[in-house]
Amino acid sequence: MPKKSINIPIGSQHISLLEPVRFKFTTENEKIVGIDWDVGFVHRGIEKACTQKFEYKQVGYVVARVCGLCAITHSLAYTYAIEQLLGLELNKKIQYLRVLMLELDRIHSHMLCLSHTVENAGFEAMFMKIMNDREAIMQLQEAISGNRIQFDYISVGGVNRDIDKAIEKQILKEVQILDHKIDDLIEAFETNWSLSLKFKGIGVLSKEDAYIYNAMGPLARATGARIDTRLESNVMPHKEVGYETILFEGGDIYARNMVRLYEIKNSIQMVQNIIQGLPEGEIQLKVKGKPKGEALIRLEAPRGEIFYYVRADGGNMLRRVRIKTPTYSQVPTFIKIFKGANYADAPAILASFDPCMSCTAK
Amino acid sequence: MNLDTYKKKSPWILHYNCGSCNGCDIEILAALAPKYDLERFGILNNGNPKQADIFLVTGALTYRSRARLIELYKQIPEPKVVVALGSCTCTGGVFRDMYNVENGIDSFIPVDVYIPGCAASPELIIDGIIKAIDILEAKTNEKEKVKKDFT
Ligand code: SF4
Repeated sequence: MPKKSINIPIGSQHISLLEPVRFKFTTENEKIVGIDWDVGFVHRGIEKACTQKFEYKQVGYVVARVCGLCAITHSLAYTYAIEQLLGLELNKKIQYLRVLMLELDRIHSHMLCLSHTVENAGFEAMFMKIMNDREAIMQLQEAISGNRIQFDYISVGGVNRDIDKAIEKQILKEVQILDHKIDDLIEAFETNWSLSLKFKGIGVLSKEDAYIYNAMGPLARATGARIDTRLESNVMPHKEVGYETILFEGGDIYARNMVRLYEIKNSIQMVQNIIQGLPEGEIQLKVKGKPKGEALIRLEAPRGEIFYYVRADGGNMLRRVRIKTPTYSQVPTFIKIFKGANYADAPAILASFDPCMSCTAK
Repeated sequence: MNLDTYKKKSPWILHYNCGSCNGCDIEILAALAPKYDLERFGILNNGNPKQADIFLVTGALTYRSRARLIELYKQIPEPKVVVALGSCTCTGGVFRDMYNVENGIDSFIPVDVYIPGCAASPELIIDGIIKAIDILEAKTNEKEKVKKDFT
């Protein structure tokens, strides 16, 4: 008798999906044998609007709206591209403040992902706890930039707000408290029996496949592959402020969680270093001239490499803005991991990818 | 059993993202989490339109979400309240007039509460939901009255 396969659709609207995306899983018994997905529901046409509706000084605020989770990375990548075209040399203070915001953003994004993963393992209380701890970071971001999600903190040639002594003290205090909470979480993730049941050996990606299928971000680092844009590019002074690459073996959901947890710890370390050694200086440089030429920028977003290509010809409007986001580049990896997994594990595996559809569809 | 009496004490939410940047969706999660604790009003985030009372929509309406938005709206039983959450849901916001965007949702479905802000802060979301609960109660009473008059 030929094997019968069953198609299971999820989406485009579903309780466990924050964003509209449609999956079609083809399953045989419990195993997923095929997967098809459609991510285009939130396509808005931002790339086109960046070249036709908005002037180059406004685009930084528009591209932040590609994604609310890594808004800061989008506006940073765009701004660095424009600054490269204008030939601006940034001072230490601006660079450090930018890294500070980027790392705070990474902490809260990783915590959101972790909370989703535990929710999919059935831990509602732990989900609430992590969301509650995350509020501390949201408050810090609000204190620094004046907004919780869309910061609009980065401008061409600098940042829009300075930080004062009171905020510095608040940051040091809060991240210190958070550091201990992360230690507790690491212990829970390592020793809790049901969490390891749901996470260990599930959704495995091998190190070879990570290179073949172009994995990036925590997904790649969980397999032991040394892939991190912060290692390769010198756009931001990450190495000066105490960046370390976090690598784990195994490539399963457990390893991904661990990479995220230890990256939060590393980010906390960087935040502390920045605040303790923040140099004096201007926060906004004078911007002269119009951008002309081509620029490529790669930055490490919480989910992996973000890539911006900007072409300008000396006018107020740009000629081309191309955005490539981590989730978009990793779709082949996701499909590779899904094939052969149990259908019951699909939500947990999906949450561990930390996918972002607004980024993918733009 | 008279379900309408219990409805106003525990309004369930159906959340649909029709093209947002995720910012407002995360703020809904933050509002449901312990610090702001929206759930103390008896609210439950629920994925089934047939059981929902409040329709919480985020994002500028894209072409492909349009049919789904209307379909979901039709499936929610009366009385229902629609809340447009975030600047881009109310008017299109920053995405206004982009080629794949239909601007605000109110040209397709009737909206009862508009919550502005990019991103709308959890405090504003709570305010909006409280308004929505009041409107839901008024709508329920109206329906009751009609029922009484004809029985
Ligand atoms: S209102 Fe702003 S933050 Fe909210 S979904 Fe729209 S663009 Fe994102």
